[in-house]
Amino acid sequence: MWENLSLKEVVELTKDPFPSIRKWVKEKGKKVIGSTIPDVPEEVIHAFGFLPVSLIGTDKPLKKAPSRLPDNACSLARSNLELVLSYEGDLFDGFVLPQVCDTTQHLSDIWRIHFPNKYMECFLAPRQVDRPSARYWVKEEIERLIESMGNWSGKKISNSDLMNSINLFNENKRLLKEIYDFKKKNPGALSNKEFFSLVKLSMQVDKEEFNKSLKAIKDQLKPQKGEGYLDVVLAGITCDPPEVYGLFDEIKLNIVADTLVTGTRYIQGIVPQDKDPVEGMVDRHMNRGFFSPIHDNVYRNFEEIKALYKENNAKAVIYIHIEFCESQEYDLPDLKNMLRKEGIPFHVMDTEYQTLSLSHLRTRLQAFFESLKGGAL
Amino acid sequence: MSETQKSEKPKKELTKSQMLSKKITEDYMNEAFRAHELGKLIGYTTAISPVEIFVAHDIIPIYPENHAVANLTAKKGAQLCAVTENLGYTSHLCAYARSDLGYRETGITVTRGIPEPDLFLACNAQCFTLTKWFQVLARRGNLPVFVFDTPEYIMDKKARQEIIKYCVLQLKELISFLEEVTKRKFDYDRLNEVMKYSAESSRLYKKFLDMAQYKPSPISIFDALIGMAIAVYRRGTPECVEYYRTLCEEFQEKADKGIGVLPKDKEKYRLYWENLPVWFKFSDHAKLLGSYGGVILTSLYVHAWSFEFDLNKDPLLTLAENYVSRFSNSTLEDRADMAMDLFKRYSLNGMIMFMNRSCKAVSFAVPTLKDVLVKRTGIPALVFESDMGDQRFYSETQIRTRIEAYFETLDRLQSKVA
Repeated sequence: MWENLSLKEVVELTKDPFPSIRKWVKEKGKKVIGSTIPDVPEEVIHAFGFLPVSLIGTDKPLKKAPSRLPDNACSLARSNLELVLSYEGDLFDGFVLPQVCDTTQHLSDIWRIHFPNKYMECFLAPRQVDRPSARYWVKEEIERLIESMGNWSGKKISNSDLMNSINLFNENKRLLKEIYDFKKKNPGALSNKEFFSLVKLSMQVDKEEFNKSLKAIKDQLKPQKGEGYLDVVLAGITCDPPEVYGLFDEIKLNIVADTLVTGTRYIQGIVPQDKDPVEGMVDRHMNRGFFSPIHDNVYRNFEEIKALYKENNAKAVIYIHIEFCESQEYDLPDLKNMLRKEGIPFHVMDTEYQTLSLSHLRTRLQAFFESLKGGAL
Repeated sequence: MSETQKSEKPKKELTKSQMLSKKITEDYMNEAFRAHELGKLIGYTTAISPVEIFVAHDIIPIYPENHAVANLTAKKGAQLCAVTENLGYTSHLCAYARSDLGYRETGITVTRGIPEPDLFLACNAQCFTLTKWFQVLARRGNLPVFVFDTPEYIMDKKARQEIIKYCVLQLKELISFLEEVTKRKFDYDRLNEVMKYSAESSRLYKKFLDMAQYKPSPISIFDALIGMAIAVYRRGTPECVEYYRTLCEEFQEKADKGIGVLPKDKEKYRLYWENLPVWFKFSDHAKLLGSYGGVILTSLYVHAWSFEFDLNKDPLLTLAENYVSRFSNSTLEDRADMAMDLFKRYSLNGMIMFMNRSCKAVSFAVPTLKDVLVKRTGIPALVFESDMGDQRFYSETQIRTRIEAYFETLDRLQSKVA
């Protein structure tokens, strides 16, 4: 189902992948495990023979979530809750939900109470990563997940099962990285929206099939630099709705680096294969890029974005702020000041899941880049 | 009002415990302001954090939350928060954090302020906000932050053992961190001594809160909120034990004499409160509820400091077990059980569920918790939304109307039962 997709089909599917997931599951008779972002070791879920699906919100209207999570809750959390309460809950046999902040902690509880008959597990990611105990804890959590999933399914997995899944998932990330490297130099050949759709769909469908599409898409790419593109760094957690990428394409911005969980931070998740698979997944967790709720080094966000801007010779940094994401909102004023002090042009886009009109974002974005091109910033 | 008029106002005589609280607080703040002179460091920490380790290592703990409460209670919230919003912070962040950042910009405070920090200890068993707020403050002075990460105390027994092991490991890391910062060796004998004081004061604090069992209750949540201050900032000291011993004696005497917050024949509704209080409406709410025969007796929030330290265990183990299992770090199911325990022990017959815009850590559980508690108790709930410290999110008429309507409902239900 997902092995022979064109770029255009990928973009279409990313809008709503769930009908195709339903069809695939019916055909294959597999169980589906949903997880919210970030950092659930999806290879573990796959090694048990289940389909791991990342939940990254919905653009469908909110109906039930507002009565559970108030309007000052992170819009991604509300959107994900709505996705399962109103639309796709029955598709899933279980969920593995990571906890990284107050909102995700409560979200797990609410979710569990609403789905008493489904498999539910939390992935309690450490919210500090600079001390030895963090590494110890990640390992404990991965091992607990393996045990919990084994108890639920009645199956046992071997290191070789895990390694096979890691191999497949690593291949997916290597393919995405190669396509990203190509896109950075050839913005005329692959749009931002197309590339980030490839990443997003990778997080939601069967990789064995989708890797074939990725390989074919990669092989068909022909160099095309295009004209008038401006290289930018995209910072944040997620970037939705997908039409925001369309805006970047419209005004010829070429994303050459990013810090998104649905972008580079996912691609960075290649697991080292020269060691025990669990140890490899722990290494991966510890080495991933900055994520505001779990990194205790308060300057890392700034340092990473500055490095990406300089290494890639970018012209500006665009920050995607998810409305009501508390973690971002505590970081943002200082980050803005630090980058501006460095002379780095910085533009914040306030986004909200369920937003349909982007006209205000377009106007502000256009104004920012017009002044940038004119050298006024 | 002129100064002369102010001084003419008759002063209410302070009780023994109030005088003690005043002295303890003054001594504590005097020492804190002279910390560097005394060769000590100031550690900012969260109200729920293993402060016993600070005390044992002669770090003076300072709680920016407490300072924020003083300003918010004195209705300075909107003014200070607006200053912070002008710096680029959004209006829906915690009012403690916003008012604190506003205080740092303007120096406006109703107290003498708080000393500047040397280091930070953020324990996320309370909330994630404090970690982020402390990170903002740390960036200003390039100061070290230690995050004591307490994963949610999920219900699986085996997972709980692992969580505690992880927390003990971190407490050892905290000790190494403090040794490195202060260049002094940590004294475990001193920690054992501090734990004795902390265990005893926590036991007495719980005894004080449990005075709410009596009918009429000699204690309301407003007494508890005032009474908890010393437990928050002087845990682990002999004066803290002395304070709660005195407080318990005073309230026990009231209970023995049958003196209630409301007279026995007027005490119709013994209420549960979910969340932190609306600090700037503190006394107004007490008066309004009292006029309907209602008295709020308790909340999980005030019980957050009634620790049960086991002195027979390794101090780091009992610290980890206690701090990780606070209500704010427990699952919704466990929170409901904790609240149900209070409903039963204190014979509660009403509940006010406050959706506090400032406190996501507590409030996001409220809609589901309300459903569970209403189902388990059969008692209707009053839910209202506002902010604990920012008056701009408080609608006087709306909330008053809802409170009035709630008591009418309770009256109707009671008359049906009668």
